[in-house]
Amino acid sequence: MSNIGLDIAASGVNAAQTAMDTIAQNLSNTNTPGYVSETANLTALSSGEQSGVGGGVAVASVTQNNDSLLAANAAQTSAALAQSTALQQTLQQAQLAFGNPSSSTGLGADLSSFWQSWNQLSTNPTSQADLQAVVDSAQTVTTDLSQASGQIAGASANASSQLAATVGQANTLLSQVASLNNQIIKQGATGTSVSSLSDQQNQLLTQLASDIGATWTASPNGSVNVAVGGVTLVQGNWSDTLAVNNTGSASTPNLQLVAQSSKVALNASSGTTAGLLAAVNVYLPSYQSQLNSVASNLATSVNTVLSNGFTTSGAPGVDMFTSSGSGGLTAANISVNPSIVANPSLIATASTSSLPAATNDGSNAQALANLYNSPSGPDAAWRTAVVNVGSQVSQINNQVQAQTATSNAAQQNLQSVTGVNQNTALVELMNFQSTYQAAAKVITTVDTALQSLLAAV
Amino acid sequence: MTSPVSTGVSYTPTVIASQLVSYLNADQSQQATLETQLSSGNLVNQPSDNPAAASTILAANSSLARAQEYSSNASDASAWLSLGTSTLNSVISALQSAKQSVMALSGNALSNSQAAVQGTAATLQSVLSQVTALANTTYGNQAIFAGTGNVSVAYDASGNYVGGGSAPTRTVGPGVSVAIAATGPAVFGSGSSGLLGSTGILSKLISDVTTGTPASIATATTTDIAALNSALQNVTSQAGVLGATYQSVQTFATQATNVQTALQTQMSAVDSVNIAQATTALTQSQNAYQAGLWATAQIEQHSLVTYL
Repeated sequence: MSNIGLDIAASGVNAAQTAMDTIAQNLSNTNTPGYVSETANLTALSSGEQSGVGGGVAVASVTQNNDSLLAANAAQTSAALAQSTALQQTLQQAQLAFGNPSSSTGLGADLSSFWQSWNQLSTNPTSQADLQAVVDSAQTVTTDLSQASGQIAGASANASSQLAATVGQANTLLSQVASLNNQIIKQGATGTSVSSLSDQQNQLLTQLASDIGATWTASPNGSVNVAVGGVTLVQGNWSDTLAVNNTGSASTPNLQLVAQSSKVALNASSGTTAGLLAAVNVYLPSYQSQLNSVASNLATSVNTVLSNGFTTSGAPGVDMFTSSGSGGLTAANISVNPSIVANPSLIATASTSSLPAATNDGSNAQALANLYNSPSGPDAAWRTAVVNVGSQVSQINNQVQAQTATSNAAQQNLQSVTGVNQNTALVELMNFQSTYQAAAKVITTVDTALQSLLAAV
Repeated sequence: MTSPVSTGVSYTPTVIASQLVSYLNADQSQQATLETQLSSGNLVNQPSDNPAAASTILAANSSLARAQEYSSNASDASAWLSLGTSTLNSVISALQSAKQSVMALSGNALSNSQAAVQGTAATLQSVLSQVTALANTTYGNQAIFAGTGNVSVAYDASGNYVGGGSAPTRTVGPGVSVAIAATGPAVFGSGSSGLLGSTGILSKLISDVTTGTPASIATATTTDIAALNSALQNVTSQAGVLGATYQSVQTFATQATNVQTALQTQMSAVDSVNIAQATTALTQSQNAYQAGLWATAQIEQHSLVTYL
């Protein structure tokens, strides 16, 4: 009897020990974020003996249970979700500017009150109380418009500052990835395991994907190259930084993410930044311009009718809505003509300038009250704006819901490969425990056999 | 609640936990939606809840506000018209009494005493001032026969018309505008064929009666009475016009009320929460949420560890 049995048994004990160590590591990291479970890969050894008996077992390697396809899919879906969520949050905030359609407050209801005040005035054109009521309801409408405009401007400002914060975080992450690349290359060269560094890298990359829609390619040496829209941001131990540039104006922003070293604008189609950029550059300006068109529609329709009319003294009508600032009339600056506020009798209620016929004539005020259902009037413009915003927010809500399900599924698929299933791990642990016990038993058996042989000598 | 993606997934604790948390979140957001609907009573609480319904509600609210204006205009118009009709009826009876007193004078042609003549003249004078006062009738503070030309009076102290040439109107339906009164000249005539003023029919009667000669009395009882009859006919026909307009305004008022009811029904169909349905859905959602909470509490209480 050769002592090869002892060697084989010893290799079994050692291999089982390593396998149990690996399982212990997995079980301990069940809830560690970014942890990728490991497997000890065992291989049977040959001894070169003529008898054909093998040489025991060895741990060929301990590898991570990674699946780059599932990981890329999970990152992609979470980046798409992050984009929609960022857009959703901003648009929901902007939607508040368009009020509650069922409520008895808000621009829709206040426009109705405005037209009603004209109707009331038409029945008693010289009544100071009715004239004042028209001025008051006109001021309510202008306040509504400027508040709505302010709400959208606020949403835009919030989105811009969130964008700056996200870019700042992304810059930190990019430099961390570069520094991890460096460590992985160095540590990999010494032959030591880089598993824990890879885990950290995975986490950073997942975060970068959802922040700026980053994609990456792994090099054979374990380092990764990170890019957004084809522009490389991390290569080896080098990393770029990002900045937000405004190529538009302060009032009509056109923000871009620019890579600082190449000065190239990134064309990211996913990630939080893409959602915020779309909100600030496209959606919010469109809402603002729809509000502006409601304001200018209101001013034009009311002022046109007034300019065709005359006061009860026969004087030509003056404009009711004017811009309080310089430049064109917008939802933000629409206001009631200060001379009408000071003297409501300047309101042109009559449709004739000849006296005495104009003295108690409310027919022009009645023409104004009739604007309520003008198919191209301010009410119709307001409804169109509400429906546009509502449809877009509803669409993005549905998109977020669908993408949440997709992203969850992708995460679960990835987790089922990279995560740790305790039951499976425990069963494996018992297997290796019995392997260990069996191999140990072989050692004692061979030992006993040798003892008995020695005793016989 | 979306169904779990189970095919081929190995359920690690992280997978189970993330699924449970997403179910809990979904239940909570559903409850929040239902609670908002129940507390507001409306299905649409922001435009994105149902953009098409939001547009319908806004349009219906706007039409409802307008229908309320039509109602209020119609009731204002009814008040003007009924005041106008009753005023003209008083004018008619005043004019008839004037006519009778002049006719009585003609019956007693041979025994016209100075006293009878004076009595008739006094009656006519009182009719003139009565009709002038009636012509200045106001609703609220607006003279109803002044057209749009004067706020408070239609005729000045000398009986001259000081109002405008067209009657005020009210919009009582979409594109339907009705005159809610007649102008003074339309009702009372003007110049020598008019009832009022120094050159009017009543003044001519008074002057002819007061003159008291057989010739002037004869003029009063023939020519003047004929003119008065024609003026009386005109007032009667104007009263008829106002009465007919009153009837049609009543129809428009009913129409406006019907429109309001229809719009409210439409809005309620689009926007009102079915309380029973919403409450049931909320209860179901709460049950699901509680079950989810229970399941979450059970996470990892049992694994193979327990039995090793």
